[in-house]
Amino acid sequence: MSDIAESHGGQIRHPGAATYLIIAAFLAVLTAMEITVFYVHALHPVLVPVLIVLAAAKFSLVAMFYMHLKYDKWLLTGVFVFPLIIATLLLVSLILLFAYLSSHMTPVG
Amino acid sequence: MAAQPKPLPSHQPSYLEGGGVLGWLTTIDHKRIAVMYLVSALFFMAFGGFEAMAIRVQLWRPDNHALSAATYNAFFTMHGTTMVFLVVMPLLLGFLGNFLIPLHIGARDVAFPRLNALSFWLALVAGILLHLGWIRGGLPDAGWFGYANLTERYFTPGLAIDWWVIGLLVSGTSTVLTGINFLTTIIAMRAPGMTYMRMPMFVWAQMVTSILILIAFPALTIGLIFLLFDRFFGTHFYVASAGATPILWQHLFWLFGHPEVYIMALPAFGIISEVIPAFSRKPLFGYPMMAYSICLIAFLSYGVWGHHMFATGMGPVADSAFAVTSMLIAIPTGVKIFSWIATVWGGSLRMTTAFYFALGMLLEFTLGGLSGIMHASAPIDLQQTDSYFVVAHFHYVLFGGVMFAILAAFYYWWPKITGRMLGERLGKWHFWLTVVGFNLTFFPMHILGLWGMPRRTYTYGADMGWTHLNQLETIGAFILGVAFLFFYLNIFKSLASGERAPADPWDGRSLEWSTASPPPAYNFATIPQIRGRDAWWILKYGRAGSRGVAAYISGQAPPPPQPGEPVSAPDIHMPAPSIFPLVLGLAVGMMGLGLIIDWYRIVLIGAAVAVLSIVGMGFEYADFGEESHDPEHAPSSGGVDVRKIGVWSFIGSECVFFASLISTFIVYKSRSVGGPGPRILNIPLTSFSTFILLMSSLLMVLALAATQRGDKRWERIWLGGVITFGLIFLSGQVYEFTSFYNEGMGLTTNLFSQSFFVLVGFHGAHVAIGVLWLSVLLLAASAGKLGQSRALSVELAGLYWHFVDVVWIVIFTLVYLMQAVPGA
Repeated sequence: MSDIAESHGGQIRHPGAATYLIIAAFLAVLTAMEITVFYVHALHPVLVPVLIVLAAAKFSLVAMFYMHLKYDKWLLTGVFVFPLIIATLLLVSLILLFAYLSSHMTPVG
Repeated sequence: MAAQPKPLPSHQPSYLEGGGVLGWLTTIDHKRIAVMYLVSALFFMAFGGFEAMAIRVQLWRPDNHALSAATYNAFFTMHGTTMVFLVVMPLLLGFLGNFLIPLHIGARDVAFPRLNALSFWLALVAGILLHLGWIRGGLPDAGWFGYANLTERYFTPGLAIDWWVIGLLVSGTSTVLTGINFLTTIIAMRAPGMTYMRMPMFVWAQMVTSILILIAFPALTIGLIFLLFDRFFGTHFYVASAGATPILWQHLFWLFGHPEVYIMALPAFGIISEVIPAFSRKPLFGYPMMAYSICLIAFLSYGVWGHHMFATGMGPVADSAFAVTSMLIAIPTGVKIFSWIATVWGGSLRMTTAFYFALGMLLEFTLGGLSGIMHASAPIDLQQTDSYFVVAHFHYVLFGGVMFAILAAFYYWWPKITGRMLGERLGKWHFWLTVVGFNLTFFPMHILGLWGMPRRTYTYGADMGWTHLNQLETIGAFILGVAFLFFYLNIFKSLASGERAPADPWDGRSLEWSTASPPPAYNFATIPQIRGRDAWWILKYGRAGSRGVAAYISGQAPPPPQPGEPVSAPDIHMPAPSIFPLVLGLAVGMMGLGLIIDWYRIVLIGAAVAVLSIVGMGFEYADFGEESHDPEHAPSSGGVDVRKIGVWSFIGSECVFFASLISTFIVYKSRSVGGPGPRILNIPLTSFSTFILLMSSLLMVLALAATQRGDKRWERIWLGGVITFGLIFLSGQVYEFTSFYNEGMGLTTNLFSQSFFVLVGFHGAHVAIGVLWLSVLLLAASAGKLGQSRALSVELAGLYWHFVDVVWIVIFTLVYLMQAVPGA
């Protein structure tokens, strides 16, 4: 069986089962690495950057291959990625703003 | 095949004819829905206007008690809430956007007509819920911004804030659905040849506004959900004594609130960009820069929310950043002002009422913009904040800018909508009274604000020296009220005996003027081929530009295209009416009502009816979705199905929804006081759940692949597998929640527990919805109703399922694995 299957209408070419299984294997390995990093104390100094990189890799694999952004029109990538960037900026901004607030807050009571 | 538009013969039935009351209740025609938005907005405007008048009567003289303080609070709260959510937005998006977008882009309807109807019914239900306080429990009274912790049950007991929270949640849902619909319509349903740079500027404005809606409203939704949990379930998201901070509400509200200003202003800019060229008989000056300016304004508007919060003490770095972005936004706005002036300059002007209001908007909005720039400076803002100067500023923007544009739109497009002209003489009276009344009402507020009169004040002392200016404002408000009486009179006269409008009364430039006034249900007899900007003008006079104008003025222009051969409506396939949007809207209303008045049987019945309605909508058409559009209408976006764009737009909006939840969790987990903390989280169990959810995504793509190759057996097996894995994940979550409860960590235990349960619970709810969706597909597959031709139905469910998966990837990392990392 070819590894590339066509979607209905023959417009978008989706990957076949072999690619999907390989991605699943990658996802399982990356998850195992995340859990390992969590439990190995020697890695804790780099816990945050390593976990963020691993999560970003898993996120990208699912979005590109399972959600077919790698194969679909760029338009759809734009419709997803722009709000994703905004959401990330929102998350970082709120964390930083509240970090400042906490460090300058007068304790209640 | 695309062709030139054929103006329809006069005997063709318009969209207004036929169907009776049931026809209107079940309509999914974008034009009828637009008219229903108009009627509801005018109805609620009467409430908002009455409240404004009552406020001005109360402030007529010092130490006045015409209203009680509590009633005064309720009136200014409901005035703001009503005007923003039930009048201005419905008029700009629901009414004008709905009516004009398909006509502007050469389409027969919006991408999702039934979703469009649902949006309207939800908006109406929201308006009714917001006003039920008149009957029971009192009106909301914490300001349109509902600052925490004033809105907490401890400070505001009773039902008033409950109406507000539920009403705004329903209203927000309606608006987000409209945003998805409009964005998809504009991306996918433009007539052949209508590139992005050939779209009318009104469509540009609506497209960018839709994007803003999708990224701005989720923050408000999350803020309201936290408030709902605080009021109904005893959490403490905004209670300082529990370690929380009311500032969180301000951030979430203004993350929505400032883009909201542009959600209202951008469509107004779009209106002015259509009206001014039409009455200047010139193409819009600087079209590309106008389009880019809209994009830049929208982008910057998302990064300026902090200028509403300078007084909260965000620190010098944040203050500087918000000040810079707020000042930057003046640049693209200035580009628009100068482009409009350049369009008027040297034009062959026709001084109609619509043009008067457009020119009035230019002046009044610029004044509002100038006072707005002052607020970008933190030190100046600190002096002006919470004073009447701010009230003056935002009324110059929202009335002087937005309402003037809406009134220009009324006079410009009314003939197209109703087939009748509005009276010019009454219109001019309306205009001049509006200008005089508006400036008398709001300009003195600048001075009063600088003198120190606080906004929202119930009354003032005679020794303050504010009496005369307040009296001037009250006189202005009543003149404004008289102006609107002229407006309503003009409307009634037009409907009763107005002059019949030809198809193209203003010698217009865009496609809506190529069809009859009012248009037939199907808009265009044939879908037009677009050859440039100002598509209808080009069809009439050749290329847009000075040559066309000169030919017109000198009488050498070619005669306009003649009406084509009569087209019988049955030849054109239009989606059938549907009762489900109305039923679903009512079901949501029942759920909201039941929740507020503690009648949970009503909530359950409403939920059951809602689920049945959604399933009914799913199976109403044979292809599990919106009815197919006219095959003649090929999408211009490169063949992407509208449903796919719609689902991706929804997913994009969900990114901001979950980002707001996750950031709250991170902020609050380290502010938690007492009780269990992140160490309670069960990593082995959650690792297993994560693995299960990831593998469910594998089964999902295998199910899609099986559907695409027509393998019905494996299609059912894989779909069953996804559902099973989803249920295992949910079971793990139930086990986890139960064990936390047994260890003493309930929803209200501390900040960590409440932000954890709400975040993870909402994700779990998404998984549960996905399981239900896939179960319906499995049933359809078992009944032999799926298959290759309907693979898109599986693909759409799969997109949602994978999104739930990627959200969990983020939650697993940030919530579980980084449990020891302090947040803020």
